Amino acid sequence: MISASAFLIGVGVATAIAAALAVVMVIADATIANYGEVKLSVNGGTKEFTVKGGQPLLSTLMGEGIFIPSACGGRGSCGLCRVTIDSGAGELAPTELPWINEADRNKSVRLSCQVKVKRDMAIRIPEELFSIREYRTEVLSIRDLTYDIKEVTLRLKEPAEISLSAGKYIQFVVPAYERTPDPVYRAYSVSSGPSSKGTVELEIRLVPNGICTTYVFNYLKVGDPVTINGPYGDFYLRESDRDIIFIAGGSGMAPIKSMLLDMAEKGSTRTATYFFGARAVRDLFLVEEMKGFEKKLPGFKFVPALSNPQPEDKWEGETGLITEVLDRHYQTLDHHEAYLCGSPGMIDASIKVLKAKGLPEELIFFDKFA
Amino acid sequence: MKQTVQMQAIQNKMKPGVIVRDGFLGTEARNLVDMLTEDEGEVTRLGLTHQGIARRMIALRDGGTAGLGEFIDVPPHFEVRVDSVRGRLPCPFGDPGIFPKTNATVRNTLKGREITYTDLHIHMIGSHGFYEGRGSQFRLEPRELAEVLEVRPAETE
Amino acid sequence: MTAWSTVGPLAVLFGAIFTNNILLTNYLGMCSFLAISREVKSAVGLGVAVTFVMTMTNALNWPIYYYILVPLDLTYLGFIVYIIVIAGSVQLVEMIIERVSEPLYMTLGIFLPLITVNCAVFGAILFMFIRTYTFIASVAYGLGGGLGWALAIVAMSGIRQKIAKAKLPKGLEGPGITLITAGIMALAFMGFSGMIPAN
Repeated sequence: MISASAFLIGVGVATAIAAALAVVMVIADATIANYGEVKLSVNGGTKEFTVKGGQPLLSTLMGEGIFIPSACGGRGSCGLCRVTIDSGAGELAPTELPWINEADRNKSVRLSCQVKVKRDMAIRIPEELFSIREYRTEVLSIRDLTYDIKEVTLRLKEPAEISLSAGKYIQFVVPAYERTPDPVYRAYSVSSGPSSKGTVELEIRLVPNGICTTYVFNYLKVGDPVTINGPYGDFYLRESDRDIIFIAGGSGMAPIKSMLLDMAEKGSTRTATYFFGARAVRDLFLVEEMKGFEKKLPGFKFVPALSNPQPEDKWEGETGLITEVLDRHYQTLDHHEAYLCGSPGMIDASIKVLKAKGLPEELIFFDKFA
Repeated sequence: MKQTVQMQAIQNKMKPGVIVRDGFLGTEARNLVDMLTEDEGEVTRLGLTHQGIARRMIALRDGGTAGLGEFIDVPPHFEVRVDSVRGRLPCPFGDPGIFPKTNATVRNTLKGREITYTDLHIHMIGSHGFYEGRGSQFRLEPRELAEVLEVRPAETE
Repeated sequence: MTAWSTVGPLAVLFGAIFTNNILLTNYLGMCSFLAISREVKSAVGLGVAVTFVMTMTNALNWPIYYYILVPLDLTYLGFIVYIIVIAGSVQLVEMIIERVSEPLYMTLGIFLPLITVNCAVFGAILFMFIRTYTFIASVAYGLGGGLGWALAIVAMSGIRQKIAKAKLPKGLEGPGITLITAGIMALAFMGFSGMIPAN
């Protein structure tokens, strides 16, 4: 049996040694693991930042208000966050290898979510990315458009205004909630017009097993804060006097609606026809709005086409697939341009019909879902 | 069976809320390696290959694309509907490429059964032999796929 | 008082690398040896890490034992204290590797913190006390032990990279052929015995 004093000495010594080591660790952490401040130079000095080192480039840039596109939130699964790093990048991480091929390596292209900022860096990014910002908003209203599409209107708080052209989309940040451990990003087209700078309206369709749509349909309430960033995309209405053909179904209507609002604002007199493909009457929505556009825009016509109308619908409008309706409507397309939004299958099939009728490829603009 | 760190990382990506709401693992408590081994065994017993099943899934999906979101007849006795929503999903196995959210619903009118699968499923089955965990709402049983889609044994091209 | 071993530090150093290789002669430190010896690059990385840890823990534990534990009659605390020191050294090594080479840090993964329970490191500490090495000799032993372990793992990884393409009987693939190779390497290293006077 050891005496009490010997026991205490023993405990004391062991604790002292452990404490001494802990102090060494703290010092090491502050020096070795601390990268201090580093300089980040963007686009040859157009923008320069002094940032705290040690973080991935993607999040470091986000912290400085520059948003590199990312669909997976920096986990290395989408490959969208590519950035050209002229100097300061370090070795290629194993997680970058699936996305960076030989050609990329020669051009110094790296995956910004996997590159840590450890020393001064010089990077190059496309100019458009500078106009992308993060917006803090609040849910103004949530309205059911159909059994599986909701219209969500967000009021911008900070910054209070957004300038986007019709046809753009934003990224909706789904916070960590019951179903997700980390925030997730999902893209939705903006359906409000460019003139409503203080609000952003989205059409969101419920997706089975969807992280964001489950959040929106089951958890989101009026007054909830929502973070979005954008605007993204290069789908927009061209200035010309050609006749417009719009083709979009379901939530693909969002950018078209934005364009129609823009046209109404500007008092456009262009001939425009919107072919809206749906299955049955229950899939139709915003029909009254479209009729309203027909009144405001002298050259506009709304043509809903049902591919599978139910007997109780008593449908008297166009029927069949959208490609068939297009085929019936036009003989030659010599003074037109087309805007399509929706699934790749629908777009590809419609493009075939349009081209067969003489519409050149340069005048067909589309926003494919995938 | 113990699995490598890489497999564990992949299994973590399959958990709920990382890529899709309910994840890909269902109610499985097993390791991913064991799930893959068991499904591999089942597929071999059926005299098929993962690629063969995936090829059939692609063929039927492509046949249904012309329906533009509505059911269309695909010979000999199928009805297929293909639709999609905006966005893409990354594969949890970490290979490059992200997959459109395209759903294909295939109805076998002769047998009176139907199955739904996405582009991501086609990739996970064809390239990784992954059919989702048991208990997952979206699990595709190899046997059911083979029967409903009528996958021919060891298709050679 | 302690009867110090009379073996010179240089003899200890070279002995630990060749004739007394802690892995091939004493069979300590096998688990990371088998797991990380697939690629030469990561083997070199881990070998360097283990060498650093072994040298440092020997250098720290020797004075702690002889100047704190023995005088205060606390030798029973020995094992606990050694492990604490090992853990701290490994943390330090982890931080350094993460700073210097992130890809290596990610490749080594879990095996970096596993150095803490690497029996070769602990074995080196115990041997230095059993053989009553002087301080310089102990540090030399730590350095030599680490270098010897590194030599074994790099050699093994080179061999494994070469036989990766070879056709092996089904049952021998993986751990089977690796252990056989380790055994043959151990036999080869026995050829060094007699090169250095017994220590």
